[in-house]
Amino acid sequence: MIKNYLKIAWRNLKRNKGYALLNMAGLAMGMASALLILLWVNDELAYDKFHANYDRLYQFYENQTYDGKTFTFAAMPGPFAPAAKQEIPEIEYITRTDWGTRHHFSFGDKNIYEWGLFADPDFLKMFSFKVLKGDTSKFLKDPTSLVITDKMAERFFGKDDPIGKTLKVNSDRLFTVMGVVQQPPVNSTIEFSWLASFKIYEGRNQWLRNWGNNGIQTYAQLHENADPVAVNRKLKDFISNKDSSTIAKPFLFGMKDWRLRSEFEDGKQTGGGRIEHVRLFSVIALLIIIIACINFMNLATARSEQRAREVGVRKVMGADRFSLVRQFFGESMVMSFAAVILAGFIVWLALPGFNKLVEKTIEFDFSNPVIWAGLPGIAILCGVLAGSYPSLYLSSFNPITVFRGMRAPRGSAVSVIRKGLVVVQFVISIGFIISTVVIYNQIKHVMNRQLGYSKDNVMIIPLRGGMNEHFTAIRNDLLATGVVDNAAKSNSRVISLNSSSGDFRWNGKDPSKQLLITLEWVSPEYISTMRMQLAAGRDFYPDATRDSSNVIINETLARIIGKPNVVGEKLYRESGEELTVVGVVKDFVYGNLYKEPEPLVLFCQPSAVNSLLVRLKDGQDVPKSTAAVESVIKKHAPAYPFEFRFMDEDFNNRFKTEMLTRELSKWFAILTIIISCLGLFGLAAYTAERRTREIGIRKVLGASVTNMVVLLSKDFLQLVALASILAFPLSYWLMHNWLDDYAYRINIEWWVFVLAGGLAMLIALLTVSFQAIKAALMNPVKSLRTE
Amino acid sequence: MIKIKDLEKIYRTEEVETVALNKLSLEVKEGEFVAVMGPSGCGKSTLLNILGLLDDPDGGSFMFNNIEVAHFNERKRADLRKHNIGFVFQSFNLIDELTVFENVELPLIYTGVKSAERKKRVEEVLDKMQIMHRRNHYPQQLSGGQQQRVAVARAVVNRPKLILADEPTGNLDSSNGNEVMQLLTDLNEQGTTIVMVTHSEHDARYSHRIIRMLDGQTVLENIMV
Ligand SMILES: Nc1ncnc2c1ncn2[C@@H]1O[C@H](COP(=O)(O)OP(=O)(O)OP(=O)(O)O)[C@@H](O)[C@H]1O
Ligand SMILES: [Mg+2]
Repeated sequence: MIKNYLKIAWRNLKRNKGYALLNMAGLAMGMASALLILLWVNDELAYDKFHANYDRLYQFYENQTYDGKTFTFAAMPGPFAPAAKQEIPEIEYITRTDWGTRHHFSFGDKNIYEWGLFADPDFLKMFSFKVLKGDTSKFLKDPTSLVITDKMAERFFGKDDPIGKTLKVNSDRLFTVMGVVQQPPVNSTIEFSWLASFKIYEGRNQWLRNWGNNGIQTYAQLHENADPVAVNRKLKDFISNKDSSTIAKPFLFGMKDWRLRSEFEDGKQTGGGRIEHVRLFSVIALLIIIIACINFMNLATARSEQRAREVGVRKVMGADRFSLVRQFFGESMVMSFAAVILAGFIVWLALPGFNKLVEKTIEFDFSNPVIWAGLPGIAILCGVLAGSYPSLYLSSFNPITVFRGMRAPRGSAVSVIRKGLVVVQFVISIGFIISTVVIYNQIKHVMNRQLGYSKDNVMIIPLRGGMNEHFTAIRNDLLATGVVDNAAKSNSRVISLNSSSGDFRWNGKDPSKQLLITLEWVSPEYISTMRMQLAAGRDFYPDATRDSSNVIINETLARIIGKPNVVGEKLYRESGEELTVVGVVKDFVYGNLYKEPEPLVLFCQPSAVNSLLVRLKDGQDVPKSTAAVESVIKKHAPAYPFEFRFMDEDFNNRFKTEMLTRELSKWFAILTIIISCLGLFGLAAYTAERRTREIGIRKVLGASVTNMVVLLSKDFLQLVALASILAFPLSYWLMHNWLDDYAYRINIEWWVFVLAGGLAMLIALLTVSFQAIKAALMNPVKSLRTE
Repeated sequence: MIKIKDLEKIYRTEEVETVALNKLSLEVKEGEFVAVMGPSGCGKSTLLNILGLLDDPDGGSFMFNNIEVAHFNERKRADLRKHNIGFVFQSFNLIDELTVFENVELPLIYTGVKSAERKKRVEEVLDKMQIMHRRNHYPQQLSGGQQQRVAVARAVVNRPKLILADEPTGNLDSSNGNEVMQLLTDLNEQGTTIVMVTHSEHDARYSHRIIRMLDGQTVLENIMV
């Protein structure tokens, strides 16, 4: 019996090679994309899970409330960790780290920048980074020792034993390698190539002693049965009890939420974050699978008339309905498993490109559950999903009706379902087209935003060694090259200004209101180098010392202060510092590119800076100019490899998430439209085949080729048109929600819908008319003979 | 009306070459009722398809109303066909998805007759074929005889000069068959030229002239009196 089924299934496939291939190709493409998405989802869900004490690990966050609005920060005061470990018994281990820095390491002739952290000794006790060499109990205690990863050890020492070797850091200090740990896995939130004692960081940053300065990260592991709620209760006033002038309220943020649920609003975890992407992509994977299965179902039921006779004969021969259901199910399973093998192959081929797109390093590995369970799982899911309805439908044929040659009349349930399914496919496809266009436009809109400064042709060069002190000489040398327009120094990159303070006061300020103001420290040439504009007052004097207690504020802050002439106004800080406003800079966009600029103060303090900004003259040969800049920098900091970034690259990097969403949306749109059209192509072929006789008759009666193409395409185009109408409000709503996250955004315009609908119609028309023209050109004598 | 000389039609498949029409010559005058007879496979349907401009010959000449049409392209043939020729088939060839009324209306749509006029003319022929009461039925819901009456109605609705019928009674019992033959005779009396393929000597007797074919050639002509 089974053999007979398989034989029939095989012959059916062979006889209908074209359709079998269409069917398989669509299904395999759908499966492959779903598998890729699942690999991504699985990778996201697996973040940080390699830590043995995953459930007991936390980072400390704190809430600060200004003017009724609560902001959440990961930054903690320096004395917090030691005090918390002493006073809160639930805490087993605690460690502080900085935010991570790149330092210049050298060994022999090897000069490499490496990223790493300063951490307390508990760090390697709580986090499960595998120790390969060295005595864990001694790690991170001695401020001249280092723990490095195996990868970094290899870069410097090759196969040699790194323990006891000495690395020179920033060409002055010497560190001894005391241990080697395995490179953190790619799905680790915490990344580093080296670890050094936190004492070094503490020694360099005196502000860490103050409870009021929040500037480092702190992590803890709780005891096995500790209750985090109880700990949070103790934490709430922990900092304000130490220093009554502070408003920070710390709390625990569990490791299981670090990666996916890191969004806070008004001091509370929203439950959102990357998890929204994970959910969205899972839904998309399912949608694509559904689209592919719809093809399968539609082609199977459309072909049913061909198979009706077989069903009739089998029934007359004594087959019961169940055995027929089984038979057709068997066929769809065979098909589905064949497709999944093809899909596995596609995934294997596409994975490198996909990894590049989503910036991951997923491997095609049979130990990955998505591969070993996902492949057969998807095959079974699709087999059932795609096989259920056709097998019930096909097995329901009544032999007498079948032999009399009756066809399913127009408007019967099966054809309505078929049409409905096609509409569903195109609603999804059109939805993706619309999303792609909207996202594309939004990105373009923000990228073209008037920033209030010019981001083009500006090199950002980290200040290393003595570069900061020799700035004036460097600047003169740079200007002397002839390719440099101007140069300045700043503390932060303009797109990521994030230092802020709430302690500013001025005469007439409402004392009950605290205002968070962004701070930036720059050299006097900053405003001219950035090509910002002054709205009032003056720029800093070239001699920075003359402006050491003067500031320039932005228009937003000037508006908040609300006096007709703010130049000359005094600002007071908690520390007793008294500052004079000497100028107002026109608002420029910094930090969040989607928001309106927030209040800002520029300090003229050329010593508290990290970056050198070099504006090249416009219209010069870029490689030549950068080479000229390099030679100047090399002259002043010969020990350091030359590193720089262009400000506009930096700016473009800001759109990574949006660009990725756009790329994915684009691919989903292409994929869904291809799969849907494969289905449509098959359906059109069947329709043309089923209507061969009718087409013949019509031609005998005088129908032209155009008549026939219209006749055959009309029905399908009506479905696509209906799908457009349904997709419009749906995607408008979805895109409206997406755009809602961006304060600076486009309006969704009507032409986007016309474009998407028109495109879908055009593609569908091309797909269908191919079959229609083929059928219409057929010789009617032949088609009537086949009866 | 029809003048055929040395008409040839050869079907080539991978293995064999079938000569379906072998230098066949034939003439049909306006107003005639001609029956074509012969054993199965002798080429009757092939001849009728060529007469109906559905297929083109491989050789010879075919004058239709004194125009050489043997080398007409598809478009020209279709144009000539829809205005001049009506078809009746053994297997009716009605479109299952269309009602009786819509089936009969079809040729008028393709010749561009206006909707109101179409309605009038369809009703007229349905009336004449006594099938008016079934106008909203689908073909599957009719008996064979009724279906063939619809097919005849469809063939004549455009008022063609020539009706080609390929075994019009082949699927019908004798009383239904006679009814259809009577319809064709009536049409012929009103001036329509008819060429009919048949296996039945009885049906052939309704015609003026019987052409007997064998292996793609005419072998004999009987003039009826
Ligand atoms: N499309 C085709 N391909 C190959 N051979 C064909 C084709 N159509 C007809 N023939 C052959 O041409 C010959 C004449 O066929 P035709 O259909 O004209 O016969 P007929 O006289 O109508 O027969 P019947 O009385 O059975 O209908 C036959 O031998 C047939 O096999
Ligand atoms: Mg025949």
